[in-house]
Amino acid sequence: MTHKDQPSMIQKKVCILGAFGVGKSSLVSQFVHRKFSEKYLSTMGVKIERKEFSVNGRSINLMLWDIHGEEDYKQIPTTYLRGASGIIMVVDGTRRSSLEEGREILAGFQDELEGLPVVIMVNKYDLLDEWSFSSTEIQTLSEGGPPVYLTSAKTGVHVEEAFHKLAEELIRP
Amino acid sequence: MTLSTLPKPVYRNIAARNIKALSPTWIKLAEDGCTIESSGGDCQDCFSTPPRPGDSATELCDALHGLLPFHDSFDLPQIQLKENLHVDIYAVYEKKTAWLIFSDVTDATLQTLRYQQTANDLILLREKQGRVLDRYLGQEVAERVSSGLLQFDTAGERKTIATLFVDIREFTAFNESHDAQVVMHTLNIYMECMLQPILNSSGIIDKITGDGAMAVFGVLPSPTHCSQLAFQAALEIMKRVNELNHQLSLNDLERLEIGIGIGTGDAVLGIIGAHNRRAFTVLGKHVNLASRLEAKAGPGEILMDEMTCKTLNFTDTFSSTDYELKGIGKVKVYSHKP
Repeated sequence: MTHKDQPSMIQKKVCILGAFGVGKSSLVSQFVHRKFSEKYLSTMGVKIERKEFSVNGRSINLMLWDIHGEEDYKQIPTTYLRGASGIIMVVDGTRRSSLEEGREILAGFQDELEGLPVVIMVNKYDLLDEWSFSSTEIQTLSEGGPPVYLTSAKTGVHVEEAFHKLAEELIRP
Repeated sequence: MTLSTLPKPVYRNIAARNIKALSPTWIKLAEDGCTIESSGGDCQDCFSTPPRPGDSATELCDALHGLLPFHDSFDLPQIQLKENLHVDIYAVYEKKTAWLIFSDVTDATLQTLRYQQTANDLILLREKQGRVLDRYLGQEVAERVSSGLLQFDTAGERKTIATLFVDIREFTAFNESHDAQVVMHTLNIYMECMLQPILNSSGIIDKITGDGAMAVFGVLPSPTHCSQLAFQAALEIMKRVNELNHQLSLNDLERLEIGIGIGTGDAVLGIIGAHNRRAFTVLGKHVNLASRLEAKAGPGEILMDEMTCKTLNFTDTFSSTDYELKGIGKVKVYSHKP
């Protein structure tokens, strides 16, 4: 059955943003294929994956744009965000600098991202012992801002919940 | 240089070479800007099914989802369409007609990727090393070690430093009467209270001694005297442990007390060990004294030697006692219970 035969299927483009090495590709791989590799492989440009699932009884097809992390977010073409319906911002729990870089990315693309739902994933929860954030800082991060999930692309913890949360926001009338 | 200035043979030659290298595929969109009107080029490389007139362009290519229709021209560089196929997508809007051009940039992308991978690996490795150093030495020392500003040699360097020993009282009994996992968990939460204040006061944790730690102050250049740094670390440790104990009491959990000893004096700082396993160490009489003071300190008590107390100008503030310490002799010791 093709997508054309499924009028109720909602299709949405979601961009995955964040500094390099925070685990964007691994999170997508875990969510889409339930696979994780210990080896870090950089992404160049964009890799697109799709995932169909149901949320609140409705079928949704997410086009996940896994966008490469740059040291300088200004090098990321703004056209990548064109047509996006939602954003996943990924932060590496073991690298304090990745939070600031994430904030810079969101601020730098303010015009393109205006009004779009955002979910923040603080990744590498499996390395909690090495985290550079205190629980208080995580709590502060989640207060009044986008929903924050402490995820592990390695174990899969909270990965599905985070993507589903964004999907809920996307189908909200 | 513009196209019009190029002689035709030159233009044709360059165009032919580039067209061959970029292996372009094009799609002309119908008036609705979403369905395919016609297509051409090396389509079999880009798409799993050939583009057919009347088909939806977004069904053909996931990358186009959310982008159609468009009424301006834009570029999407380095889009990975397949495992080993990266394309630049040019969306061209001319004379009210929308075109999509897919240009193969796989070779260039993979080459950049190799450089990028190496650079990213190096940055991540450096950051990881920094975090490991930070964990064991504190941020200030880690930064100095990383940048080569802090070095020790095997010959040793003589310096006035303050040494602090901190230890949990009655921990052996606690250890023997509780499950090992409970002991480990308890030890870690007390260690958190004991170690962070040392790092915050520019101290170096020389060693962790099971249920306590030894720290030195004055190794790093600081406008504050080493005794002052050690004393402020001791006060902060006591404060944190008291807060922890208060929380434990509220939850009806067992609490532990700590004792601290501080000594100030000349010491030799250096590296000892074999060529493949070396460790930073401090040697000096006051180091042994500080260790003995910690052993004598009661629960919640900070014991200091005379040199420390004189430096702090606390000799009239804190009560003093003369102790006869084996191997050291008679010493005046000052006590403070915050």
